[in-house]
Amino acid sequence: MTTTSADHHVHAAPPVHHGPWRRHLLGAGWIRAAWMTALLGGIGLGIVLVLRWWGNWQPIWDGQPIVLVSLLVAAPVGFLAGLGAFDYWVYYALGKPTRPEDHSGHGARSWKDYFRVNTDHKVIGIQYLTTTVVFFFVGGFLAMLVRAELARPGMQYVDTQTFNGLFSVHASLMIFLFVIPAFAGLANFAVPLMLGAADMAFPRLNALSFWLLPIAGIMMVASFFAPGGAFACGWTGYVPLCSTHQPIGAVFFNQGVQWAGASSIMTALNFLVTIITMRAPGMTFWRMPLLVWANFTTSLLVVIATPFIAGSQFFSMFDHVMHTSFFDYQNGGYPLGYQHIFWFYSHPAVYIMMLPGFGIMSEVISVFSRKPIFGYRLMALSLMAIVVLGFSVWAHHMFVSGMASWLRVPMMITTLLIAVPTGIKIFSWLATIWNGKLHFNTPFLFALGFLSMFVIGGLSGVMLGAVPIDIHVSDTYFIVAHIHYVLFGGSVFTIFAGMYYWFPKMTGRMYDERLGKLHFWLTFVAFNLTFFPMHLIGIQGMPRRVADYLPKFADLNMFISLASFGLGASSLVFLYNMITSWRRGPIAPSNPWRALTLEWQVSSPPPVFNFTEIPQVVGSPYEYGVPGAQHAILAPSRTHETAEAPV
Amino acid sequence: MRRGSLVSLLGIGLVAGGIAAAVALLIPWLPPVASKERVRIDDVFWFTVVICIVIFAIVAAVLIYSVFAFRAAPDDDSDGPPTHGNTTLEIVWTLIPTLLVTAIGIFSAVVLAKNDALGKNVFKVNVTAQQFAWSFSYPEAGNVTTGVLRLPVNRSVLLDLKSLDVIHSFWVPEFGQKEDTVPGLHTSLHITPTKIGSYDIICTELCGLGHATMRSTAIVMSDAAFDKWLASQKKAAGGTSAASVSGAAVFKNNPCAGCHTLTAAGATGKVGPDLDKLPQWAQQAHQPLESFIRTSIVNPNAYVQPGFHPNIMPPFSSLPKPQLDALVQYLIQSSKKG
Repeated sequence: MTTTSADHHVHAAPPVHHGPWRRHLLGAGWIRAAWMTALLGGIGLGIVLVLRWWGNWQPIWDGQPIVLVSLLVAAPVGFLAGLGAFDYWVYYALGKPTRPEDHSGHGARSWKDYFRVNTDHKVIGIQYLTTTVVFFFVGGFLAMLVRAELARPGMQYVDTQTFNGLFSVHASLMIFLFVIPAFAGLANFAVPLMLGAADMAFPRLNALSFWLLPIAGIMMVASFFAPGGAFACGWTGYVPLCSTHQPIGAVFFNQGVQWAGASSIMTALNFLVTIITMRAPGMTFWRMPLLVWANFTTSLLVVIATPFIAGSQFFSMFDHVMHTSFFDYQNGGYPLGYQHIFWFYSHPAVYIMMLPGFGIMSEVISVFSRKPIFGYRLMALSLMAIVVLGFSVWAHHMFVSGMASWLRVPMMITTLLIAVPTGIKIFSWLATIWNGKLHFNTPFLFALGFLSMFVIGGLSGVMLGAVPIDIHVSDTYFIVAHIHYVLFGGSVFTIFAGMYYWFPKMTGRMYDERLGKLHFWLTFVAFNLTFFPMHLIGIQGMPRRVADYLPKFADLNMFISLASFGLGASSLVFLYNMITSWRRGPIAPSNPWRALTLEWQVSSPPPVFNFTEIPQVVGSPYEYGVPGAQHAILAPSRTHETAEAPV
Repeated sequence: MRRGSLVSLLGIGLVAGGIAAAVALLIPWLPPVASKERVRIDDVFWFTVVICIVIFAIVAAVLIYSVFAFRAAPDDDSDGPPTHGNTTLEIVWTLIPTLLVTAIGIFSAVVLAKNDALGKNVFKVNVTAQQFAWSFSYPEAGNVTTGVLRLPVNRSVLLDLKSLDVIHSFWVPEFGQKEDTVPGLHTSLHITPTKIGSYDIICTELCGLGHATMRSTAIVMSDAAFDKWLASQKKAAGGTSAASVSGAAVFKNNPCAGCHTLTAAGATGKVGPDLDKLPQWAQQAHQPLESFIRTSIVNPNAYVQPGFHPNIMPPFSSLPKPQLDALVQYLIQSSKKG
C-alpha cells in the first residue's frame, strides 16, 4: 500500500512517560476503542435500567430502549472516544496542555495510519473512498439478491420480510454510505489542494466526520441480525409503517441515518469554512475550479436540509420506542407531516448526490477535451440556481400522497423549471467537448457515459414532473428506472470518473487503462440492459418494492435480473484494477493529465502539507489553449524529502 | 462550422431521433385505456415524449459526432481552440428549454383540472384499504360491502379512500389515476370508466409483508347489468338474516384472501398460514378447531403460528356475530375438504 509522502521533519509527539502496557490500554487506538465501546454501552444500559426502576416502568428490562440507548447511541460514542476522536477537545476543555504543534495524527506512513483518527485531508479522503467502496459492494450484493428473487414470479429464495429488508438496506447503503460520502471523500482529497490550502479548516472535525460513517453503515447492515429482521419499510421510512409496524430493525435505520447525517453536516460546514476562508491569494470566487463551486453549493444544501431528515427520523423513532404520537393519527398525529419533512431534506439530497458529480464532470471534460469550460460563470450560477430551486420542489414526490391538491401545480412548475439550469450544464459540457482534442481515457469515457445516461434520466425526470404522467407512474418500476438513471448513470458514473481521474494523485501510481476501459464498457452496456426495460414494466403496471408480481411481467424481469448480474460482475473489474494498481501500478508522474488545477502542480501523492509555499493564483483554472495563460504561480518545487511543514 | 460537418451532424441527429421514435412507437408502452382520464394522461405523455425525443436526438448527435470528429491523435499534445463561451448560444439554450417546460406545465395543469372535475350524476364508492386487502362499499346500495370493485361504464365515479392501518395506494393501470389511502385522512380519486371489462387493482405504496399480493379486481359493467347487480345487492342488504349469511361471501368480502391460501375460495395468499391446513394448526396449538378459528379471527395475537409474526393480521373483532359464525363454519367445512 502506498502512503502519502512521509515528512521527516514533522514534530514528533512529546514522549509519553508511561509503561508500554499502560500506553496501549490508555492511549488512543483500537484497544482503548474496544474497552470504551463496552464501557459506554454498559453505562447506557445502566442509565436505562436505573431510570426505568426509578420510575417503576414495567418491565424494567425492555429491549427497545436498551438497544437504542446502549448499542446505538452510547457504544458508538465510546468507540469514537476510544479511538481518540475527542482527545484534543477533551484536553482543551479540561485545561490540560494540548499539543497544537503535534502532527503525529497527520499524513500516512504505513497502512496503519489509515486506521487511526488521522487529521490529514488526503488520508481522510482515501479513508472515505475505501469505506464507501466497501459499502458499495455490500449494497450491490443486496441488489443482486433482490434481482435473484425477482427473476421469477412467486417467492423462491427469501420470505417477504427479508425481501423488503434487502431493498430497504440496499437503498440506504447506496445513498447514505456510498454516493453522498464518496463525493465527500473525493472533495476531501481534492478541494483543499485545488484551493491552494494546506488542509481543511477544521482537520479534527474532519477526522470525526469520517469515523461517524462506518458506525452508520455497520448499524444499517446489522439490522439484518436484529430480532425480527432488518427494517423493511423502504429507505423513505414512511410512517406509520415504519414507526409502528416494524421490528426493532427500524430503529437501527433511524439511528444510522442520524450518524450519517451528523457526518454530512460536519463535513459540509468544514467545506464551507474552508472554501470561504482558505482560498490562496488571488483565488477569487470566479477563479475557483467548478469542483470547488460544486462542493460549495452542495455544502449549502447539506447544512440547510440535513437537519430536516434528522428531525423526521427522531420523531419516527420516538413514535416507535417511546410511544409518542407525532405521526400516529389515532392520537392526533399527522402521517403526511413525515413525508413533508422527509422530502424537504430528501429532495435537496438528490442534488447533494448530483452537484459534486457535476463538479467532477467539469474538471474531467475540460481536461480531456483540452478546452476551457464553456460558459464558466453560467455553469457556476446554474449550480446556485439549482440550490435555490431545489428547496421548492419537494412535494413532487407527493403528487399522489393525498396532500392538499392545490400544492401540485406550483410544485410542478418549480420542478419543470429546475430542468433549465440542469440543461444549461449539459449543453455547456457539450459545447466544451465540441471542437476539442478529445483523449479517451477512462475518466473521460465515464464522463461521456454520464452525459448520455443523465440526459435520459433528466428527460424521464421532466416526464415525472408533469403531474398527470406522475400520477400514472408514481410508485412503479418507472420510478426505479428513473432513479437509477439519475443516481447510477448520473452520480455513480461521475464517482467512477473521479476515482480514476484522481487515482494517480492519491496513490502515486497509474491504474490499468485497459481494465478501466473494460470496466466502463461492461458497466455502460449492462447498466442500460438492466434499467431501461424497467421504464416499460413500470408504465405497464408493475409497482415497485414488490417481492412478487403478475406473471405477465415474468420475461422482462428475468431479462433484467440476468443483465443486473452482469452489472454486478462489471464492478469486480473495477475492484481488481484499483487493488492491483494501488499495489503494483506504474509510478505516476505529478501531472499525467496535463491539467491546470493546483492539485496537479504538486507531487503524486502530494506532500503532507500540500504546498511548499501557498501558491499565488493569477488566472482561471481552465485556460487550455490560451497562449501564456497561467492559473497559479507556485514556489519552485523541492522534492518532498526536504519539504518543511508550515508552522 | 463547415457545411460537411453540419450535414453529418444533422444526419446523426435524424438517425438518433429516428431510433428513439421507433423505440417509442414500436414498443407498446402504455397499457390498454379504460377511462376518460387515461386518455388525457396519454396525451400529456406523448406530448412530453416528443419533446424528449427531440432533445435526446440533439444531445446524441453532438456527442456522437464529437466522439468521431474531434478524437485527438495519440501523440497530439496540443490544446483545442480557447473558446470561453458564446452569449447568444447561452441565451438560446436557456430560453428554449424554459419555453418547452412551460408548455408541458400548462398542458399538464389543464389536464389535471379536467381529470379532477367531477361529471354529472356522480357515483360514489367508499374504498377501505387495510393490510393487505381492499373492500368497497356502495352508499347507493345501502352500503353493501364487496371485495371486488364494480363500476358502471361512462359514469363519473368518485372513490372516497380511507385506510385502517398504514398508507396504501389505489391504482388501476388502465384507469391511470392513482391516490394514496392515508390513515386518519380522507382522500379521493376521480375516474370515468369507458370500457366494459375487468382490470387489476394494485396497491402501489409499500404497506408491509403482503404488499406485493395486495390486489383486487375492478369490474366495469354496462348500465343495465350494473343496475341489476345494484338492485340485487340492495335486496340482499335489506333482508339480511342469520340464516341467509353465507360463510363463503363473508370470506370473499373481507380481506382474508389477500394473505391466506384457501383452495375452496380460490385464495392463494402466502403472508399468513395456509387455511387448508387449519385442523393441523389447531392440533399444534392444542386447541379445539372451532374455538381456535374463532379466537384467531377475533384476536390473532392470542396464538401466533411458528414462523409467522405477531401484529401482522388485524383483529376482526367488529365482525357481526352471524357473519363470524358463518365464517367459522365455512372455514371448518372448507379446511376439512382441503
